[in-house]
Amino acid sequence: MVNPNTSGDGSSPTGTALPAYPGAQDLIAATHGQALVLRGLTKAFGPKVAVDHIDLDVPVGSFFGLVGPNGAGKTTTLSMVTGLLRPDGGRAIVAGVDVWADPAAAKARMGVLPEGLRLFERLSGPELLSYLGRLRGMPLDVVRQRSAELIRVLDLQDAGNKLVADYSTGMRKKITLAAALLHSPSVLLLDEPLEAVDPVSARIIRSVLTQYTHAGGTVVFSSHVMALVEGLCTHVAVMAGGRIIAAGELAQVRGGAASLDDAFMHLVGASDMQEGGLSWLGSSPA
Amino acid sequence: MVGIFAGLKWHLVTSRLRAAGGAKKAWMIVGFIAALVVLGFVAFGLGSLRALPLDAVPLMVTLLTLQLVGWVLTPLLAFGVDETVDPQRFALLPIRPPTLQRGLLLTSLIGYLPAANMIVLLGVACALSVPWSLFPVAVACMIVQMLLCVVLSRAASTSMSALMSSRRGRDLGMAVGLVIFLLYMAFVIFVNSPGSREPSGNGQAIRSGVFNVADVLQWTPPGALATLPGFVAAGQWGRAAVAAVIALAALALAWWWWDNALQRSLTTVPSSTEGSSPSHGAQDTAVAVGVAGTMKVVAGRDRVLAWRDPMRRMPWLMVLVLTIAWPFVVVRGQGAVFAVAFGALLCGAQAGNQYGVEGSGLWLHLQTITDRVRARGEVLGHAVVALVPGMVIVLVGVAVQAVARDDLGHVPAALGACLAALFGAVATSTYLSSVMPYAQPQSRKSAFVSSVPGQKGRSFVAGIGFLIGGLVVALPTAVCVLLSLLVDPVWGWVALVVGPVTGLIALAIVVQLTANRFLQNGPEIFEIVRAGDRV
Repeated sequence: MVNPNTSGDGSSPTGTALPAYPGAQDLIAATHGQALVLRGLTKAFGPKVAVDHIDLDVPVGSFFGLVGPNGAGKTTTLSMVTGLLRPDGGRAIVAGVDVWADPAAAKARMGVLPEGLRLFERLSGPELLSYLGRLRGMPLDVVRQRSAELIRVLDLQDAGNKLVADYSTGMRKKITLAAALLHSPSVLLLDEPLEAVDPVSARIIRSVLTQYTHAGGTVVFSSHVMALVEGLCTHVAVMAGGRIIAAGELAQVRGGAASLDDAFMHLVGASDMQEGGLSWLGSSPA
Repeated sequence: MVGIFAGLKWHLVTSRLRAAGGAKKAWMIVGFIAALVVLGFVAFGLGSLRALPLDAVPLMVTLLTLQLVGWVLTPLLAFGVDETVDPQRFALLPIRPPTLQRGLLLTSLIGYLPAANMIVLLGVACALSVPWSLFPVAVACMIVQMLLCVVLSRAASTSMSALMSSRRGRDLGMAVGLVIFLLYMAFVIFVNSPGSREPSGNGQAIRSGVFNVADVLQWTPPGALATLPGFVAAGQWGRAAVAAVIALAALALAWWWWDNALQRSLTTVPSSTEGSSPSHGAQDTAVAVGVAGTMKVVAGRDRVLAWRDPMRRMPWLMVLVLTIAWPFVVVRGQGAVFAVAFGALLCGAQAGNQYGVEGSGLWLHLQTITDRVRARGEVLGHAVVALVPGMVIVLVGVAVQAVARDDLGHVPAALGACLAALFGAVATSTYLSSVMPYAQPQSRKSAFVSSVPGQKGRSFVAGIGFLIGGLVVALPTAVCVLLSLLVDPVWGWVALVVGPVTGLIALAIVVQLTANRFLQNGPEIFEIVRAGDRV
């Protein structure tokens, strides 16, 4: 279920400086059954408020799409949830653990695929997986067996010992996904996992993610490709201007609109291009 | 069209000045004037050499050759300094190659560096105009020299642009930087070596060396341009004509090469990944259980990367050369073993900025290294990868100096000082990498850029801090060394014990402090170091 407090104005119910939500232990108990819980999460960069007191509940086992235009605050939100960016206020609870109170436990339960960050570029794919697995303290034979299987399923065998620095965009996303899945986390947090990925790799990534949710895992991913979200997700939240303006099951958010795309345009208040402009297009070149 | 190019380049050149406000603008103008004054002095100094025509011509032959070599090599070392160097940027514009080539020639002549070169060349022209009536000839020669520099540099950079946009090409550029450093060291040692015929470090030795070199170089295009006014003055028209043909033919050839390279680069797509060397599948088996396990895992990865990544490998090679060769240059006779301690400090500095070196890849460690045990293991792992090769290099350095200078008596004291300096520098560098992290450019476009805009102060503090910290940790050992020299040599053996012990204590304290700081301030460190991706 989606949190009833999620409202258009995004502010906490009482509007006071003190957190209006319960303490972490109470909150964790009260939100049992949620894979990800956000309460009053806030981040400002100077005068610009990137994420403005957002509340969100993501049910266990859901395939959750976080959609919004560029600059809506999706990446900032996911960075705060994954422990890469310190929030100015609010709480993020992943699989029953407060991320900023107990990062070690929270990070053990999440797999992360960030957007636009480097990997250890001079390692090969298998070396990267082996290194990260061993660094997490996983037994050597488990690391070997899982990474071999991930590399096979994600179709990265042909890359062999190629360095990650020489991987294509699709291969990078796949090896990062493999690293995110290696320790079998209960929640996957993916920032634009299919951005600039070729169709074959995209299909492989989609099927792996679907299989993961069928096995009881939760996927939270951000995207601005509505068709993709509509085709994959069970739940969706729409972000704009640092706030969540709608959240819930896909059908609920889509409402009466013909497609999620139309619903999104309506929700974010965007309109189609005005007619009558660009009449010179198609005339002879200057 | 060519005018548009000139306007574009002028815009690029002056953009920083225009963007700066108030006080910063004033300082930049003061800086320009100061640079002009310095260049004016250089030009005046060169010009005044006309009083010594016998020395002036060989000197100018060498100088102009070095200038040309510098112009050709710069794009390989610092590709991307000039936005107009990469011809791919113009590939989609509807411009014919001859127009583009002329436009690019003009843009290459506009800028701070060409302006500085022109001022220096004016000084050279004055030096070569003996008598003054030759001044127009000398100026014409310097114009050809300037064009030769620019055209050859552009031809080389255009040919290499496909290569330099690939990872392998940039790795090669860093290797070239190392080769130049090694040549410089070899030159310094050669000029200073007691084995050369003249007394070492003597002006006469350098003078005779330059004369010999100039004899050969006068047949190269820049050499020909430097000697041409002299031949005209002496009435040696045949030699003058040969010199003119050498220079102009070189210019024509360079222009043709550039034209060819430009046509090719505008119509082919660089293959960026083909032919890159794969890894050989390092098989590490350590698992991060406890501090020691994590240390082994992290050190194993660092060791692999130190071989594979030129950004990590090149500093080690430079440190190796400096530690072993540098004491030969600075200290004569016994006592040179102690100069190895400077190399030991530099070895220790290789443990520096351990979070910054990862760039935004640090997020992988932020996700996996989340508790105290692992954070300490990580810090220790990075430190070990600086300590182990550092100790080997220092041992070799001390041994080489002790044997070469027949100075075995000072070995215990020197070794103690070196180990104290090494451990001290490792400890300080490690600590500074958490309190004063800075972004390291990840694109490797230039071998000589070590910080990103806005973080120069941070990298400077970190760069000075390790020296001071290393010296402080080495202080007790230094006292023992002094006592061994002044009171009793047995203090040297005390230094050999005190050095590693104080160093290890410092390291043990620092590992805890650094690990705690990483756990507390990981996201803030990440914010700083990820800026390295942009450069």
